[in-house]
Amino acid sequence: MKQTRFEQRNNPLSSAVPENTEGTHDRPKKIVIIGNPNVGKSVLFNNLTNNYVTVSNYPGTSVEVTSGFADIKGERFEVIDTPGMYSLTPITEEERVGRKILIQGRPDIVLHVVDAKNLERMLAFTLQLIEAGLPVILVLNIMDEAQKEGIKIDFTLLEKLVAVPVVGTISTTKKGMDILKERIVGYAIRKKS
Amino acid sequence: MQFEKNHDGPIEHSLEIALEKIEGLLYDKYPLSRRAVGLLLLQEDHEIHEMVKESQPTIIDHIEKIISGVKAHYAYPIEYEIALRRRDEVERIINRVVKVAKEEAQGIAEKVSALMMNPIAGFPLLFLILYFGLYKFVGVFGAGTVVGYIEETYDSHLNPLLVKIFSSFIPWRIVQDLLVGEYGILTLGLRYAVALILPIVTFFFLVFSVIEDTGYLPRLAMLIDRTFKKIGLSGRAVIPMVLGFGCATMATLVTRTLPTKRERLIATMLLALAVPCSAQLGVILALLGGHPKAMVLWAGIIMMVFLFIGFLTAKVLPGERPSFYIEIPPLRMPHLGNIFTKTYVRVKWYFMEILPLFLLASVLIWLGKLTRLFDFLIFLFTKPVTMIGLPKEAAKAFLFGFFRRDYGAAGLYDLHKNGLLTGDQLLVACVALTLFLPCIAQFLMNLRQRGWKTGVGISLFTLFISFAIAFMVNLALNKLGISL
Amino acid sequence: MMERKDRVEEILESLWIITVEGQKDKSDFALLRDDEAIKDLIKMGYVFIKENQLGLTEAGKIEAQKCIRRHRLAERLMTDVFVEKSKLIHETSCKFEHLLHKDLEKSICTLLGHPKTCPHGKPIPPGSCCRGASKEYLKKIIMPLAELEIKKKGKVAYLQTGNRDVLQKMIAMGVLPKTEILLLQKFPSYVIQVGKSQFAIDKEMASQIYVRQV
Repeated sequence: MKQTRFEQRNNPLSSAVPENTEGTHDRPKKIVIIGNPNVGKSVLFNNLTNNYVTVSNYPGTSVEVTSGFADIKGERFEVIDTPGMYSLTPITEEERVGRKILIQGRPDIVLHVVDAKNLERMLAFTLQLIEAGLPVILVLNIMDEAQKEGIKIDFTLLEKLVAVPVVGTISTTKKGMDILKERIVGYAIRKKS
Repeated sequence: MQFEKNHDGPIEHSLEIALEKIEGLLYDKYPLSRRAVGLLLLQEDHEIHEMVKESQPTIIDHIEKIISGVKAHYAYPIEYEIALRRRDEVERIINRVVKVAKEEAQGIAEKVSALMMNPIAGFPLLFLILYFGLYKFVGVFGAGTVVGYIEETYDSHLNPLLVKIFSSFIPWRIVQDLLVGEYGILTLGLRYAVALILPIVTFFFLVFSVIEDTGYLPRLAMLIDRTFKKIGLSGRAVIPMVLGFGCATMATLVTRTLPTKRERLIATMLLALAVPCSAQLGVILALLGGHPKAMVLWAGIIMMVFLFIGFLTAKVLPGERPSFYIEIPPLRMPHLGNIFTKTYVRVKWYFMEILPLFLLASVLIWLGKLTRLFDFLIFLFTKPVTMIGLPKEAAKAFLFGFFRRDYGAAGLYDLHKNGLLTGDQLLVACVALTLFLPCIAQFLMNLRQRGWKTGVGISLFTLFISFAIAFMVNLALNKLGISL
Repeated sequence: MMERKDRVEEILESLWIITVEGQKDKSDFALLRDDEAIKDLIKMGYVFIKENQLGLTEAGKIEAQKCIRRHRLAERLMTDVFVEKSKLIHETSCKFEHLLHKDLEKSICTLLGHPKTCPHGKPIPPGSCCRGASKEYLKKIIMPLAELEIKKKGKVAYLQTGNRDVLQKMIAMGVLPKTEILLLQKFPSYVIQVGKSQFAIDKEMASQIYVRQV
């Protein structure tokens, strides 16, 4: 089977074992964090990862990408934070890199982080990611600001309608992180089977 | 847990048919679903097009035919049509899932935000922020440290000690000179870099990170867009420009975020010409500290040069007016973790990328002196320097100023202290030094980012402008009989 | 059965679309040869026949342009103000345009904010009202965002831009037809609120978003 150009490139951001060894579960699972800028992605990233974090340039560009490792319930995950993205159609170089990471990286989990009070604007991208067949968990962050604005969200119904896990968080106080971690592990297990 | 089976996104008749045709042609080993690839192809996405072309070259022509067929059906570009339909799908979900209780009253954050964006209050607020953040915090602290260290060069106890140690260990005068000479790596190079420049720059990045984290910068971009449009930039350029007050080399790197080549060029040129980095600011403020009138004049002149040259450049360079749009996030309290990480990353970059170049500069100076090249260059500089009314001793300071701004300023400071520079001359010298060639690090970055022809061109341009403006300032001061 | 006058206008419009907007120079009129309307057109000096092809005279071009303008304005009126579904637009506007008499057309153009294109993206030939300041006392129903008053809301009617980059930015902001925009500021830049998000845009972009005041 012929490999696409995206697969052939050797991406230093992917794990130590090269991509084309399919069926290998030795390498840590990969979580890619996607979302607009200003939604608290970096704080969420810090909440998930331990202290060893590297900031490197995406190969061939001067765009910085932050990556690290997370230990969740005894399992190690690689976590990659991407530059802000609004949709799968990139406008800036940063967004192009973000998309490359999504496509090239073959993530096991995609955390789409959105500003809860702006769900209306950001849900289109979530649907786009789901339609693309990516393993999405929708994270509604900055819930405190949404609550202050008097916004109420029916999580159960939303989860039913989009058919992916939906978690509410406040990354600055770490509220919701436990549930998020549970869903991450649960998702990873389901994908294995 | 069982989830309900989801439909594919709803797409209208013609689009759906075309999409199905394309999906039928694609094989299923792409990293995205066939439907997603099909949609992106319909939107004429270049990268995806190339991806498919490489893997399935035989079907590309057929796909292109399908796409042109669909395009004919719609007045607007396909991405628009798709966006409309997606929006409708989103609305159906949101209406069932989200309830807004009431319109909340404005909190403090909104009130402050409105104040910041109101031009009447916004600009004074900006000056306040600049004054406290930049001048007081970075400048006064920086200047204080600078004065302390420059004094120390000529009064210190450590230097003679170092000189003594190294002279006894290393027999060769030449190497001694390199390490502990007047501009030696250890005595001046490393010491200035680590004990002087680094703290100033770190403080700047700290302040910048705080401002950045609150979400103030997009508001500043909004206030300044009109002015920036006149110099060929958009409000978005405010980010590299403000960063330039920290380190113009880093700012030049950030210009890559500007959308057009024209904007990147203008921004790079202005950064090289008229945006003093924190190292420079520190030393200029140390020099002009005792002459407040001169300092105000200096700031005014630099600002006018920035606007005027920017305006001229925009007129001369062909290209479209940049369009401006930026999201304005809510004002938030800066998060300590973010501030720490952002500052740390930037300081680390500075330490790894810029400081070695400063040490390299010391080596180059040493080589220059050794080969007598420097004497020749100083000779070349003497004429222009005297033409702008400065004593010929200042030529040395300027030459060294290219390699290290701090050396240049230190040289001027020394001259001033020994009574060789009047207040007027000090102003002229500071103006010239600020506008002068970009420092060696920035010069190299310009070459890398904009190409060597443009990089050299910018340098020559700033060289010329700096002396031309200094000449005019000198003339004006003399003619008007001003004595600072 | 369509009236003769209407038929005349129909033919003028078709000729305009083919000759001025299309590629062909003349049109084959073999089918229309016996059409009474053609005879009228020749008599009025709007149309000529050469080598079995129909062409517009200079006077004909001017008259045809007016017809096209009325037709497309009528389409705009249907879509933006009456918000009619695509099927109905064509039928109704065909009938409507023939009723649009000269001054009425200027008023409607002003009310709609001097639109530049019809809902299908074809250009609307400008009229004297677009250039001059006549009829400015008429309050616009549809106008570019740049002309909205501060603190007022507008519902997006359509986007008037040929630039795909600008269009993408508008999509990214969520500015699409039916979206509600609150205009917060005009100076020094335009600041808008879409949902719970705020954006700053320049005047050029604000002039390309046509809204209906709510």
